[in-house]
Amino acid sequence: MLTLKSVQSGYGRAPVLKGISLHVRPGEVVTLIGANGAGKTTALSTISGLLPARKGAIEFAGQDLTRMRPERIVTLGLALVPEGRRVFRTLSVTANLELGAFYRQDKKQVRRDLEELRARFPILKERARQAAGTLSGGEQQILAIGRALMARPKLLMLDEPSMGLAPQMVTRVYDILRDLKKSGTTILLVEQNARAALKVADRGYVLETGRIILDGAAAELQEDPEVQRAYLGKGYREVWE
Amino acid sequence: MFFQQLLNGLTTGAAYALIALGYTMIYGILGLINFAQGEIYMAGAFVAVLLLATGQVNFFLAFLAGMAAAALVGVALERVAFRPLRGSHPLVPLISAIGASIFLQSLALLLFGPNDRPFPVQFDFSTITVAGLPLSTLQGAILAAALGFMALLVVFVRYTRYGKAIVACALDRDTARLMGINVDRMVTLTFFIGSALSGAAGIMMAIYYNATYPRMGLLPGLKAFSAAILGGVGNIPGAILGGLLLGVAESLGAAYVSSGFKDATAFAILILVLLIRPQGILRGRGD
Amino acid sequence: MTAYLLHLAVLSGIYVILAVSLNLIIGYAGQVSLGHAAFFGIGGYTSALVSLHFGFPFPLAVLSALVVAGTCGLGLGLPTLRLKEDYLAIVTLGFGVIVDLVFLNLEITGGPDGLVNIPLPRLGGVVFRPQGLYIVLVLLTLLLILGLTYSLVRSYHGRALRAIRDHETTAQVMGINTPAYKIMIFTLAAAVAGVAGSLYAHYITFINPESFGLHTSILLLCMVVLGGMGSIAGSVVGAVILAVLPEMLRQFKDYQDLLYGALLVGLLILRPQGLMGRGKLSLKFITKKE
Ligand SMILES: Nc1ncnc2c1ncn2[C@@H]1O[C@H](COP(=O)(O)OP(=O)(O)O)[C@@H](O)[C@H]1O
Ligand SMILES: [Mg+2]
Repeated sequence: MLTLKSVQSGYGRAPVLKGISLHVRPGEVVTLIGANGAGKTTALSTISGLLPARKGAIEFAGQDLTRMRPERIVTLGLALVPEGRRVFRTLSVTANLELGAFYRQDKKQVRRDLEELRARFPILKERARQAAGTLSGGEQQILAIGRALMARPKLLMLDEPSMGLAPQMVTRVYDILRDLKKSGTTILLVEQNARAALKVADRGYVLETGRIILDGAAAELQEDPEVQRAYLGKGYREVWE
Repeated sequence: MFFQQLLNGLTTGAAYALIALGYTMIYGILGLINFAQGEIYMAGAFVAVLLLATGQVNFFLAFLAGMAAAALVGVALERVAFRPLRGSHPLVPLISAIGASIFLQSLALLLFGPNDRPFPVQFDFSTITVAGLPLSTLQGAILAAALGFMALLVVFVRYTRYGKAIVACALDRDTARLMGINVDRMVTLTFFIGSALSGAAGIMMAIYYNATYPRMGLLPGLKAFSAAILGGVGNIPGAILGGLLLGVAESLGAAYVSSGFKDATAFAILILVLLIRPQGILRGRGD
Repeated sequence: MTAYLLHLAVLSGIYVILAVSLNLIIGYAGQVSLGHAAFFGIGGYTSALVSLHFGFPFPLAVLSALVVAGTCGLGLGLPTLRLKEDYLAIVTLGFGVIVDLVFLNLEITGGPDGLVNIPLPRLGGVVFRPQGLYIVLVLLTLLLILGLTYSLVRSYHGRALRAIRDHETTAQVMGINTPAYKIMIFTLAAAVAGVAGSLYAHYITFINPESFGLHTSILLLCMVVLGGMGSIAGSVVGAVILAVLPEMLRQFKDYQDLLYGALLVGLLILRPQGLMGRGKLSLKFITKKE
């Protein structure tokens, strides 16, 4: 469904992504894990069109994304929940959700989707008229996910949804991801929190300073000694215990 | 006397507020000061006056045409003087807007000459007494129309799809794009609306002062700019409040302090307020 | 014809001094001023008044202009330099409008008529006449100021100023006293503009508020941006072009201002970093996606 081939991109002279290849098949949950600064956000920005790919190819649903603008890409069914949530702070919760469906023409269906979403996440109904900026971090994360779902994405991409959240909110967000997975949503999940991500994912890629150094089934990656040492902090615990 | 000055101030203040809305919306979405906003005000007035002078056009049609012309000037201005300069130092588009403002002023001078033009239609305005206070119906009409436009704008921004999209672009351009919002189109729309409001203000002041001339936009433009900052730039209610406040202060200042320094009032207040509250009376965008 | 060229040269020289001083504020301290002509005017009026009323000799008149304009710069800079760019722009603009109205409304400044019969400068037995030695006086002052400016921006202080412009927080972390530098540069630039005002007043010999209004402030800003912010050579070029351009466009008579505005926009679109500015090429331009 989504395929990246040797994609290079970045901000200044030197590329941040030094040629990464990955793919996501329909119905899969794939995670891209890596330390802070590895280039995960850069990868998602490049896929969603905010950053141009300098080299390589990005294909989604049979279309070439490399020269497409972000506002077009979302219409193909690719939605991003950005890092740090990025809700529209002064707009109401409902307005945020409606903007998620901005490109859609099927107004009636949008209304139905909105009701469905509110039924699923009652907080979005309770806080409907409140400014998004007044919500707690976890509530904002749910709003950001809801906003992306309003675009009816074929592929949902999330950038560190657990970042900066209290532990029980992390659990809540991951419960939502598991639900989405159950209902058949295709997901590309970017995380620093490898432990949580590998638990929901089918497959995973490990990104290190702009290169993919490892990939495989999530279960395998969880067992990989290198991943355990660098991303799951297992080594330290053994020393401690 | 005091009431009369207050009303005079509110009337000119309403015009400042309408122009300030243009400044504040454009600043909100582009982070840029459109220095040529005063010339857009002038353009609106000229088109309405010229149409009315033909004697063939009805007043409301001319009013709408003036607003539309102002809107088109604003949109063209964005294309020519701002869009090619995206991403350069913020002073560069400021200067290019100044260039555009010089251009528009001298174009008006060439086309219409330097003299004041009276408003071609004479209205039969009188003074009525409301609750024991004298009220000029002209001022009443101007105030009502200006408040009507402001209300329309607020409704548009709060409750329509495109209004919310404009706010989204102002808050977070990249995330707005991820929603499928075409930012360029929203910028054009913002210029269209902001300029139409300035055009409306220009026509109203052309009636109020019975004078239309190429440099008529200079001072109202600068004062409205102060009003926008006073209200917290990017803040729509703030711009309205700032405009009305400056208009009233200026009118009272001229009556009770010194008429020679009338045009300094707006700036003096702005400087004082900024020294105490650097973010403006209400908060600006992004706080 | 020669007299006319000489006149253009003197005016250009004065504008170069003004543009270079404004460039210190914009290009080196990273601040905006839309009211620089106010200091030009303050210098001009001070110099004229002390000559007319107290019979100050020219050097003392220039010194008075420098001190008074500098003091006003300090007075404006102290409270306002903590404001952010856009707000500072309108505050300085407002200051310019207020000062202009002060010239217009005070009795001592002669109201709208201004001051007349300002004496020509004398040093020893030499009189600097407009058609004669005045250009020498302007050029010497200009060279002196350019020399001082160059040594300032090349010095340790110049590097500190650039650090403030490029990254204010980093500069603070590095221990640079940011507010002190900003105030210093603002004061200095105002003082230099005051000197230019003095040169102007004693050249034209009559002054009125018109010469020091908003349009002059804007003209100066245009000179700096057109030449390239942070480039002293750029300010020289920008000032000469914009001082001479109206004269060259004079043959187009009524279309003069129209062309002036159009050229300004056009030049900026072609070279957003200014004529002599190195500036970064805008990133968006390269990475634009269709
Ligand atoms: N807007 C930007 N401009 C310049 N460099 C950036 C920008 N954003 C990120 N970088 C650099 O790109 C690298 C990768 O960043 P990022 O993709 O955000 O990593 P991650 O999301 O994995 O933490 C980092 O070295 C970072 O400093
Ligand atoms: Mg990241």
